[in-house]
Amino acid sequence: MRISIPLAAALALLAGQARAETIDVSSTTMLQIGQQTRGGANPFDPQLETVAPAFEILSIAARDVRNPVLRDLSLFVSTWGSYELAEPRWDTGTPEAKLNGDLVTLYAQARMFGRRVTLRLGREMVSTGVARMIHLDGGELVALLPAGFRLQGYAGVPVTQRFGARTTLRSWSPVGGDLAYGGRVAFAYGLAGYPGRGLELGASANFVEDGGDPVRQEVGADFRLQPFRDLTLTGLAAYSVWEERASELLARASYSVTRRFRIEADARYYAPDLFLARNSILSVFSAEDRRDFGAAFTYELTRALEIGAGYHVIVEPGETEEEKDFVGSEAALQVEWAGGPTRLGLEVDYLDALENGYLAFRVFGRRDFGKFFGTADVLSHLFRESVNGEDFAVTGTVSAGMQLAKGLSVVIAGNAGVTPFLEQTFDVMAKLAYNSIYRAREVR
Amino acid sequence: MNPRLAMVLALAAAACGPKVSKEKPAAADPAYVFPHSTHVDADVDCKACHPMDKATKLEAGVRHVKVPANVTKIQPCADCHDKDFPAFKPPARHAPFRLRFDHAAHLPRVKGDCKRCHTAPPEQGDKQAKAPPMGACTACHEHQQDFAEARCVPCHVDLKGYQPETAFKHEGEWLRAHGALARPSGESCAACHDQTYCAECHSPQTAAGRPSIVFPERVERAYIHRGDYVSRHMIDAGANPASCRRCHGSAFCESCHELQGLSKLSPATGETNANLRRPRSHDQDDWATPGTPGALPRHGPAARRDIASCAGCHDQGAQATCVGCHRVGSPVAGTRSPHPKKFLSAHDRGDISKNEMCRVCHG
Repeated sequence: MRISIPLAAALALLAGQARAETIDVSSTTMLQIGQQTRGGANPFDPQLETVAPAFEILSIAARDVRNPVLRDLSLFVSTWGSYELAEPRWDTGTPEAKLNGDLVTLYAQARMFGRRVTLRLGREMVSTGVARMIHLDGGELVALLPAGFRLQGYAGVPVTQRFGARTTLRSWSPVGGDLAYGGRVAFAYGLAGYPGRGLELGASANFVEDGGDPVRQEVGADFRLQPFRDLTLTGLAAYSVWEERASELLARASYSVTRRFRIEADARYYAPDLFLARNSILSVFSAEDRRDFGAAFTYELTRALEIGAGYHVIVEPGETEEEKDFVGSEAALQVEWAGGPTRLGLEVDYLDALENGYLAFRVFGRRDFGKFFGTADVLSHLFRESVNGEDFAVTGTVSAGMQLAKGLSVVIAGNAGVTPFLEQTFDVMAKLAYNSIYRAREVR
Repeated sequence: MNPRLAMVLALAAAACGPKVSKEKPAAADPAYVFPHSTHVDADVDCKACHPMDKATKLEAGVRHVKVPANVTKIQPCADCHDKDFPAFKPPARHAPFRLRFDHAAHLPRVKGDCKRCHTAPPEQGDKQAKAPPMGACTACHEHQQDFAEARCVPCHVDLKGYQPETAFKHEGEWLRAHGALARPSGESCAACHDQTYCAECHSPQTAAGRPSIVFPERVERAYIHRGDYVSRHMIDAGANPASCRRCHGSAFCESCHELQGLSKLSPATGETNANLRRPRSHDQDDWATPGTPGALPRHGPAARRDIASCAGCHDQGAQATCVGCHRVGSPVAGTRSPHPKKFLSAHDRGDISKNEMCRVCHG
């Protein structure tokens, strides 16, 4: 690569002007050793392969980068690289390569015009409206307009794994395609009193194309209403323009009866086939919908002890077109106790769907001993219908760690279990993590 | 390399070099020993010990505490105290303030009544003072619009260490609720969370690994793929197909299914279709073709009710197994349309030209 001296000098000048006030650095060096199954086509049993990826995971956030042009300039990057010391994992993204890596996020964010305009450029995620957490290489602009209006627009290329081809066929991205764009216009009306009180209304659109063919064409509306401090209502309606029907409707309420007692309720409608890309050959065979609704609560019995439970009815299409909808259930119970250096938890989950279901138990705990800590986590599932001829799965994980000097910590973990696909499974992991914040100037 | 260029680049590197100080973790502040509530209940003016009239900013090293030495000789202390105490000097505070606040400017506005904002004084044993609730600020300041627009600066230095309350409280069904809140209020989420945080779970196509594998020690986090997820992923997918599709494209599923000999395109095994491992449902005699003339094969209704499940193995575009039978003109296609009624009502023949996928069968 040729770099001219004037260009290098300009870079030096700019570098001298630009300096971040705060830099968050997180680095994780990790080795994981485990087993995965391969093959098993009739009449052979699957083979067990040992996988041993070594990772370096890096995340840097440089905030308030002083520079002569933009205000509140921040830079964010999270990335990783790995090397397969044994057989490649199934999720390397490039099975033929031992050396791998990817860029999770890399974006610059700047605020301009009295912080009324926010611009993000790079590899980022867009979450608002009907964007559905779209991950793209591109840009997003948020502009605060007078009278409580806000305008947001984005455009870019949906991200796929390992810088691979962007076409839907082999892309791991749920939206695939080679162009995504959309936006949202919102109106916020604040009510005096507790922060957050008020109404936010939004209308949004999201379009994704693949070589000009439609992948997704959705418009929608959303709202958040907090009429008084303890009650919040949210809602979303998404409509597929291409298929001319609703893809998702959601209404949700949360109410803090007291500081310690909180209840939530929600109802949802969605059409699973509309979550497939419109240029998938499978998008033309189904137009079914599903619903679920239910409620949950959490109650802080004491400062240390909290319980929570929830129940949802799930309604899915019957086994055949003539049969009535199947009405299933989903329930959860959590108890968590946190006293001083000790945290203990119990979770019970129940799922009863048409094809199968399970009853799950999880017990976990963590205990800190000064600079040391240990955790244990046991999770078991009892299946309603057997999975691969087995009725249950149980896995247990223990980990231990120690805080070293200067933001360094070390963690080792081991996992063992009995599952429907593995009579015995063992994994071990060791990682060295570094987390630190560097400040050029403490702002108070 | 050109030596002059090397020198300029070295200068650039030096200019970029971190002239920064590493933030030391704040040492824990010692517990409060002063019985505040006893004095508040006795209507002792806060200013008797806290001369805040000239305090224009919050500083970690400055306590603004001046406990009178001769309590038996001054009012109102002498009303209760009949014995002097040794001079008391409060220990220095270490924890930095994350807020900008001017006491001197605010005291006249509340007519010196500190309790207007400080509704609960620190008690003996507390390691941190109870900060006034934000409602104390918004009782006078119209910050609703700023809140809605997530403009927390310049009052807040940052939002680290704050626990969200009411609507945004991260408890209970937070995993189910957070998406519904992020859609209208994504910028509010961004006030605390960088996208690198969101990406830990929401970027499976580029992530290094499942969060529960990278962070096994975070037992308190709600990771949905924790433990042996392989054994139950089809159950969760069957119960809520959209949940998987929010993050995973078909090719993600196939990456594993091919290696396991489950998917038709199985380069790892090179097996023929007949030798592939398949779901038990596919072994029924009338799965692919009708058991009796005029009847429907079972795969049709199954695909109607959960097409996302089919896509886990069969989403290969023109090479998909569906095309062989369902394309127009196929000898086994029959006269019944594979499209559901709702699909036909939304599309006419003109749409075929707008989507290459349609032309695979209709071309």
